[in-house]
Amino acid sequence: MELTTPGVATLRRDLDQTARDAETADVALAASGDGRAFERLYRTHVTRIHSLARRMTGEEHADDLTQDVFVRAWTKLSTFRAEAAFGTWLHRLAVNVILARRTTLGTERGRYDDSEGVLDGVSSRPHAPDLSLDFEEAIGRLPDGAREVFVLHDIEGYRHEEIADLLGIVPGTSKSQLHHARMALRRHLE
Amino acid sequence: MSDTWTNRLSEYLDGDLPAGERTVLEAHLPTCAECSETLAQLRRVVARAQALDDRAPTADLWPAIARHVGVVSLDARRARRRLSFTVPQLAAAAVALALLSGGSAWLLERRPAEGPPSQSTTTATPMLTNAGTYEANPRYAAAVANLERVLAQGRGRLDTATVRVIEKNLGIIDRAIRDAQSALAADPANSYLNLHLAQEMRRKLELLRQAAALAGART
Repeated sequence: MELTTPGVATLRRDLDQTARDAETADVALAASGDGRAFERLYRTHVTRIHSLARRMTGEEHADDLTQDVFVRAWTKLSTFRAEAAFGTWLHRLAVNVILARRTTLGTERGRYDDSEGVLDGVSSRPHAPDLSLDFEEAIGRLPDGAREVFVLHDIEGYRHEEIADLLGIVPGTSKSQLHHARMALRRHLE
Repeated sequence: MSDTWTNRLSEYLDGDLPAGERTVLEAHLPTCAECSETLAQLRRVVARAQALDDRAPTADLWPAIARHVGVVSLDARRARRRLSFTVPQLAAAAVALALLSGGSAWLLERRPAEGPPSQSTTTATPMLTNAGTYEANPRYAAAVANLERVLAQGRGRLDTATVRVIEKNLGIIDRAIRDAQSALAADPANSYLNLHLAQEMRRKLELLRQAAALAGART
């Protein structure tokens, strides 16, 4: 039995694998109580988690929710199994934290309002200089249910069955909310 | 927007429309400018959503998180230390890296031509620590001790050459771990050295596992 020991050259040759190894190591280190490793994980993933929280609940709640997600992640690191990527595990945890906080944040209003009239309230801003921000603002003005489904499906890539499970609705409602959200957002493409 | 197909266009776009309805809709689309235009717009909405860039929070949230979980911010640690390297620190880091690379070369040179392929060294092992916690990490220490015990019990079942190779490799890894720890003692925040140390510790665990399994398999 001989041992292969990749040195500096090997690490440089496969940076992606090295990054994955580093994250795997950081997860294990953090699970054993290493705060510096957990900070590295935080800095790697905070942008995505914060963006998810902002899109799901609005700018005013995003910071608090992001903190909650990472505090919860710290306490649950021992339950992480390496079958999935850490980012995937963290993202699912974040969705659960965000959805659990909806009620206390008062974001239930109009949750599953299917009416076109409510969606018409998403005003168009054809001359906004930053189209991406304008589109983000339009997403933020969608009714809660339509926004949550749109963010989870079209931005985060969840399937209707998963969304229905997360939101406690049926897949048909998820499809309907998604369609209405897309129809409302068409005006923000120009 | 009154076309009977309008409300089904998202399902069509996502491939969720049943085959029969999809066929009918596809026959309808070339004849209906409104549906075709709406479908094109929906496609652009989806494309825009998938192209959105994430934005980092405007404020650093880590200090508050660190307080909640009871750890000290890396930035705070760095702020308390002078950001400079002494010659001995640099020399220690260089020695550690040279030993790691030298050990790699030595091992590669010693690899037998017809030896069995080694297992991947990137196997995730959820028992790692760093210079500050290695000695005190009970999970890692227990895992190593347990494997060493198993190996000791089965040692007599292995041939002498195999035992010699295992011991040499373990010695090299232990030296690399000690050297990396020494270098990290002078520069605890060096993520590159931390990564090397974590990899060496994982390698030790993996070697012990292989050796223990080999000893156990020869019962």
